[in-house]
Amino acid sequence: MTKSSEDSPSRRTFMTVVIGLISAVIGVAVAIPILGEILSPLFKKRDIVWAELGKIDDLKKIEPLTPKFVPVYFRVKEGWTINTLPRQVVVVKDITGKLYFFSNQCTHLGCPLHWIAARQKFLCPCHGGMFNVLGKVVGGPPPRPLYQWVHKVNSGKVLIQNKFIDNPKDRGI
Amino acid sequence: MFKKIQEWFDERIGLTELINEFNGERIPARGGWAYTFGSLLAFLFIIQVVTGMFLLFYYVPYFPMARNSTYFLKHHVLMGNIVLGIHLWGAFTMIFILLVHMSRVYFSGSYKKPREMQWVAGMVLFSVVVILGLTGYMLVGNENSWWTINVLDNVASHVPLIGGFIRILVKGGTETSVLTMQHIFAIHVWLLPIVVIMFIPIHIFLVRKTGEQGMALEYKNSKLPDDDVNKWKHADATVPFFPDQLFKDMIVALGVFAVIYFLAVYYGAAIGPMYRPLALNFAPEADWYFLANEELLKYFPGHGLIIFSTFLVPSLGFAILFALPFIDRGHERSPFKRPAATVLGILFLLLLVYLTLIGGEPKAPATV
Repeated sequence: MTKSSEDSPSRRTFMTVVIGLISAVIGVAVAIPILGEILSPLFKKRDIVWAELGKIDDLKKIEPLTPKFVPVYFRVKEGWTINTLPRQVVVVKDITGKLYFFSNQCTHLGCPLHWIAARQKFLCPCHGGMFNVLGKVVGGPPPRPLYQWVHKVNSGKVLIQNKFIDNPKDRGI
Repeated sequence: MFKKIQEWFDERIGLTELINEFNGERIPARGGWAYTFGSLLAFLFIIQVVTGMFLLFYYVPYFPMARNSTYFLKHHVLMGNIVLGIHLWGAFTMIFILLVHMSRVYFSGSYKKPREMQWVAGMVLFSVVVILGLTGYMLVGNENSWWTINVLDNVASHVPLIGGFIRILVKGGTETSVLTMQHIFAIHVWLLPIVVIMFIPIHIFLVRKTGEQGMALEYKNSKLPDDDVNKWKHADATVPFFPDQLFKDMIVALGVFAVIYFLAVYYGAAIGPMYRPLALNFAPEADWYFLANEELLKYFPGHGLIIFSTFLVPSLGFAILFALPFIDRGHERSPFKRPAATVLGILFLLLLVYLTLIGGEPKAPATV
């Protein structure tokens, strides 16, 4: 004979606890793998690669204080495929002849910058950020100067990494 | 014949009783047209679900193909442009009507005790619908989608402590890639619609649970003082939901649907060019309902203040709105008898309209 919960309050408590426990066990057992699936990108290391930009001698010939936009193509593993990430590298030569390799994305929230030659400034079309040709913020909301790509010169060729110098939170891309 | 069929069902599942239970709800009589917005939103949501389902017959959530599959749907599928157009203009209309519905509830004090939880459920629906709008806009795979994903991910990265993680989780990786689109797709077509489908019945159930609560003008004949809870329990006059209220609901639904259909056929959905991460002359634009937020982002310059525009101001505003019934606890309902709430509400709406209008102006580089 099964005892009904109406006959005994302790039996009722017992049943309630068991119902709760079963729900909790099933819930947790389903939630853990789902959580793992969602959080999985956090455990993947970012695929950092080098891509060729061009010859250093050619780049040194550009006009000083005039940005030159050079596309660069990173081949990175992302998901189940190798993807090509096309990115703009803004090459600027200052008056001493030093080359800078800026990103063309605004440091505020990442919109693509426009070079306005008449004003000698980079303008952000989204929220009105302004940078001078050497990447310094001269107006608007951007919190920091333009990002610079990690780069190196190898046997006369400039190589660019898909990573910004001094950008601990990997913002911007 | 019909009588017999009805009897057959009544004997087994009590159909007539069920229908009467659903349709017999008494609705306060005087504000009938003002109460149509809720039903209108439910109607618009059904339209979104139905058109959305059939967009999936052609859509591919893969970044390099998404825009072209949408283009194919619009230009090469018979009447695909109408289905796509209804989905887009229906979404815009839904967000607009949501604002109207919320304003109506706010100004008539309908969120007050005992309807606090109903406002909360409504706020959940509001947030989810706005995110549905944003994710839908990202799924097109055009230039705006690409830059919107990047900008909003960067906005999310400013949440204190966990911001960086949120950005990676939403993107499904460190780069905006095929996985990003797949995640947004899953969120847009499954996760959030399910939340809406769960919360609409909760919202409606709570309406019925709290009974005939209406605007202040429903209780003109009541002799009770305003702070007596019993005053708001019985309206002077009520009508049954079916057919009196539903009649008005359907007229409004038809009118709004006609507008959506017209916009869908004559303006359609602009698809725009394929995304180009290398674009040098492109100015991303947010959808109209996000322009106020977009404008806000311009006002807090520098490293120290950026968190105000990306996190603090929007989330504080949202939290206040969410907790509105717990902040404003007076029993007064009429907008004329609680001037502070009414004036604040009007000022907020004006601010919203102002920010939206200046946010929608052409961006600087295009005009320089």
